[in-house]
Amino acid sequence: MSYIPGQPVTAVVVIEIHKLRQGENLILGFSIGGGIDQDPSQNPFSEDKTDKGIYVTRVSEGGPAEIAGLQIGDKIMQVNGWDMTMVTHDQARKRLTKRSEEVVRLLVTRQSLQKAVQQSMLS
Amino acid sequence: MEDCNVHSAASILASVKEQEARFERLTRALEQERRHVALQLERAQQPGMVSGGMGSGQPLPMAWQQLVLQEQSPGSQASLATMPEAPDVLEETVTVEEDPGTPTSHVSIVTSEDGTTRRTETKVTKTVKTVTTRTVRQVPVGPDGLPLLDGGPPLGPFADGALDRHFLLRGGGPVATLSRAYLSSGGGFPEGPEPRDSPSYGSLSRGLGMRPPRAGPLGPGPGDGCFTLPGHREAFPVGPEPGPPGGRSLPERFQAEPYGLEDDTRSLAADDEGGPELEPDYGTATRRRPECGRGLHTRAYEDTADDGGELADERPAFPMVTAPLAQPERGSMGSLDRLVRRSPSVDSARKEPRWRDPELPEVLAMLRHPVDPVKANAAAYLQHLCFENEGVKRRVRQLRGLPLLVALLDHPRAEVRRRACGALRNLSYGRDTDNKAAIRDCGGVPALVRLLRAARDNEVRELVTGTLWNLSSYEPLKMVIIDHGLQTLTHEVIVPHSGWEREPNEDSKPRDAEWTTVFKNTSGCLRNVSSDGAEARRRLRECEGLVDALLHALQSAVGRKDTDNKSVENCVCIMRNLSYHVHKEVPGADRYQEAEPGPLGSAVGSQRRRRDDASCFGGKKAKGKKDGEMDRNFDTLDLPKRTEAAKGFELLYQPEVVRLYLSLLTESRNFNTLEAAAGALQNLSAGNWMWATYIRATVRKERGLPVLVELLQSETDKVVRAVAIALRNLSLDRRNKDLIGSYAMAELVRNVRNAQAPPRPGACLEEDTVVAVLNTIHEIVSDSLDNARSLLQARGVPALVALVASSQSVREAKAASHVLQTVWSYKELRGTLQKDGWTKARFQSAAATAKGPKGALSPGGFDDSTLPLVDKSLEGEKTGSRDVIPMDALGPDGYSTVDRRERRPRGASSAGEASEKEPLKLDPSRKAPPPGPSRPAVRLVDAVGDAKPQPVDSWV
Repeated sequence: MSYIPGQPVTAVVVIEIHKLRQGENLILGFSIGGGIDQDPSQNPFSEDKTDKGIYVTRVSEGGPAEIAGLQIGDKIMQVNGWDMTMVTHDQARKRLTKRSEEVVRLLVTRQSLQKAVQQSMLS
Repeated sequence: MEDCNVHSAASILASVKEQEARFERLTRALEQERRHVALQLERAQQPGMVSGGMGSGQPLPMAWQQLVLQEQSPGSQASLATMPEAPDVLEETVTVEEDPGTPTSHVSIVTSEDGTTRRTETKVTKTVKTVTTRTVRQVPVGPDGLPLLDGGPPLGPFADGALDRHFLLRGGGPVATLSRAYLSSGGGFPEGPEPRDSPSYGSLSRGLGMRPPRAGPLGPGPGDGCFTLPGHREAFPVGPEPGPPGGRSLPERFQAEPYGLEDDTRSLAADDEGGPELEPDYGTATRRRPECGRGLHTRAYEDTADDGGELADERPAFPMVTAPLAQPERGSMGSLDRLVRRSPSVDSARKEPRWRDPELPEVLAMLRHPVDPVKANAAAYLQHLCFENEGVKRRVRQLRGLPLLVALLDHPRAEVRRRACGALRNLSYGRDTDNKAAIRDCGGVPALVRLLRAARDNEVRELVTGTLWNLSSYEPLKMVIIDHGLQTLTHEVIVPHSGWEREPNEDSKPRDAEWTTVFKNTSGCLRNVSSDGAEARRRLRECEGLVDALLHALQSAVGRKDTDNKSVENCVCIMRNLSYHVHKEVPGADRYQEAEPGPLGSAVGSQRRRRDDASCFGGKKAKGKKDGEMDRNFDTLDLPKRTEAAKGFELLYQPEVVRLYLSLLTESRNFNTLEAAAGALQNLSAGNWMWATYIRATVRKERGLPVLVELLQSETDKVVRAVAIALRNLSLDRRNKDLIGSYAMAELVRNVRNAQAPPRPGACLEEDTVVAVLNTIHEIVSDSLDNARSLLQARGVPALVALVASSQSVREAKAASHVLQTVWSYKELRGTLQKDGWTKARFQSAAATAKGPKGALSPGGFDDSTLPLVDKSLEGEKTGSRDVIPMDALGPDGYSTVDRRERRPRGASSAGEASEKEPLKLDPSRKAPPPGPSRPAVRLVDAVGDAKPQPVDSWV
């Protein structure tokens, strides 16, 4: 999943997270911030401070998300095919926490990937 | 797994080299033939001799290639036949850690820039500065270049010989370092000696095997595959040729090389001891960097090719490596270029003999090179470049090199991971926080933690933990490290190395802690993060096994009387930080609060007493007595019996820890450890809860007061300060107060005198320390006529008056005048004072001036000052003032003064800090900064929360 120098890169990665059952709840083990109803200028992870996307703000140690390779600061583009770039915070949360889905596939982009791609194009 | 990688890397490298060398040789031979150069005729007789650094890199026309192929087998055989010594050639890789500025890398950190600063930050200083690759001919030659030369003649005929020699020479010399980096890609991997008897074919097949990694866009087309490969190999240092006959296809076979292993040990040794022997070399290397650059180029064969490869000729050239060696693109890019297009032919190479160091962007580009060893060496070279060089570090960041390195932490090859981590360690070191932030921003912390979990190689673990230690000195990263790494650090390092066992085996005796570098680095990291505030403390306290393991390690240190080392210091500092505010922060703490004066309520009692006193000074005596009685009762009071053994954070404040800290205070010669241990006692004896009461009594029963008083004589300012504050908190216990008044007054007053007239130059006490001492005196004197008498007997009044008159510090003057005011409040003493010639004005005016500015010195204010003492100190800690609360102090300790300062503004704690030292100040300022400023880790959440009602941050 992670970027390996020398390999072809895409700025987007697919991360598949198998939810962990904790009691009644299925957890993913990360937290999100952002959304079109949030103040994007407060987002420490975005380069463009008007970006109202959903970002990963925390990843619990050893949790399903970390195991799957999700990282803090990742921007979530899609969840199981649903767009996440134009949703409210709560919509995103609901989309991620659907009880009927034990596995979520995230389409994620991260700065390091983009930079790597840019660099490889430059060089 | 690592071994595997190393070996396979080694074997691949070896095969590459072998192939390359052969190819070059052949090429060379052909060329020579073609040209019919007279000079070369001699060589033609000994085909092996042609070393072909140059040749290998050059694109050959198709026809040529064909020829080469056809000839290969014969050629190689010839070379084999001729080269009996080949098996002897070995390549060694040595990794040396060096401390740039300081010869002993480890020690450097502790002390610091300004007296105040203690930089825990990173001992990390020791850096793997260099990796040297050298080829050694075992048999004929000693590891040094010289013997080789002597051995040269016999080797002469063989191309390899020539190559090796070059290598050696350079390798042996200071230059070695650089050469490693560029040279080659392979340099870093240990390679074993391999017999060359195998058919040349073998190398080809191996080469093919290697191809897949290069398969990228840059990879050679199918058509020229075979040829290209050798060309690529060029990137690898030419060295020994691998060659166990059977082993070709299976790289693993090569593993056995003892050398690889040896290298490891060596590098370790270097680590631990600062690598005394190696250092000289490196030192030189650094100094001579420019030349080194040329040296890199070193690939022996290339040079040879240029000048005809005469051994004899080359030797003279040696010292001045430049000319013969030069080859234009030998640099890092050279290999890259070659991938894409063949580098210039031999001829063109000759025309441009100059060689240059790769530019930083080129080095960074090599991090993405398809060939793993190139990546590894680029990272190693980067590490070398970044060593203590802020400019380069900045540029690496600007060129977006950090994400590349972080990505390499997950690389399948152990060597690549190791080198990348080494580079990150150097890049993360220093006061410049931008690199630390950049590493965080590209997911460096989780990646490092993953690597730590996966790595079994000790060196890698040292590098990872060292890097984390560096990162942990940056405030905003502390919570990130806790979030991602606390569990891992605790369970992978702290617990196993501490010797603590969850289920102690009754048969075997408890294990001792191992003071490994990994443990030291990890404890340093945790020490830093433990200063991040209430949330950080909570996380650490609740981390299963952490407190238990730290205590076990410390007990083991005391048991072995090994209490001066850095690991112990780190552990004590963590303990001190975790002890801060235990009485408020620990789950269930309210159950133990002494809200009402119970049988044990000495603390509460004293509070009340003080309040009463404030309004009516006359009442002290009687009340004092009463409290005294209570305390006396307490003396005989048994400590609570526990039904089950304390564990986890409960251990922090069990009275049993008192003995541990007192042992450290008695045994240790490490000032930081002393300060931290005193600070821990200070933290534990603060607060109005039951456990603090027990602690205060236990210190007395364990005869800790004399130990503390003795430390008031310490030459180290911060130790005096921590001890003074601890004594102040301890004197909340009435009996302690009496004892301290009797036995410590002389020492305290001596410190006051030293504040004005340092006994020796440079021994001047810091303002904070003086204020702390004065506050302690004030605390002891309040409420105790006997202690006030002691102060007079110790001739404290003249010292205080002089301080008020002469001190440059407003705070010192205020604190001193406050003491004087208290003394004057005892009517019983006025006669004596007047007899000595003092007038009321001396005392009152001082007090008045003190009051003036603040307007808060009224008796009420007085109360505050005294009572809050404990709390105040706590607050102070929180804010980051070191005096009061060691924990913060410690944390910063790790860092530096700078850190502390930064932190204060943030937490709005500045007020709190000030309050600590000035007892007279009112609380409002103190309280303004609430305890929990913020959790850095969750910044997004917090920030957003302010702006909008919606959930900013949701766990999913």
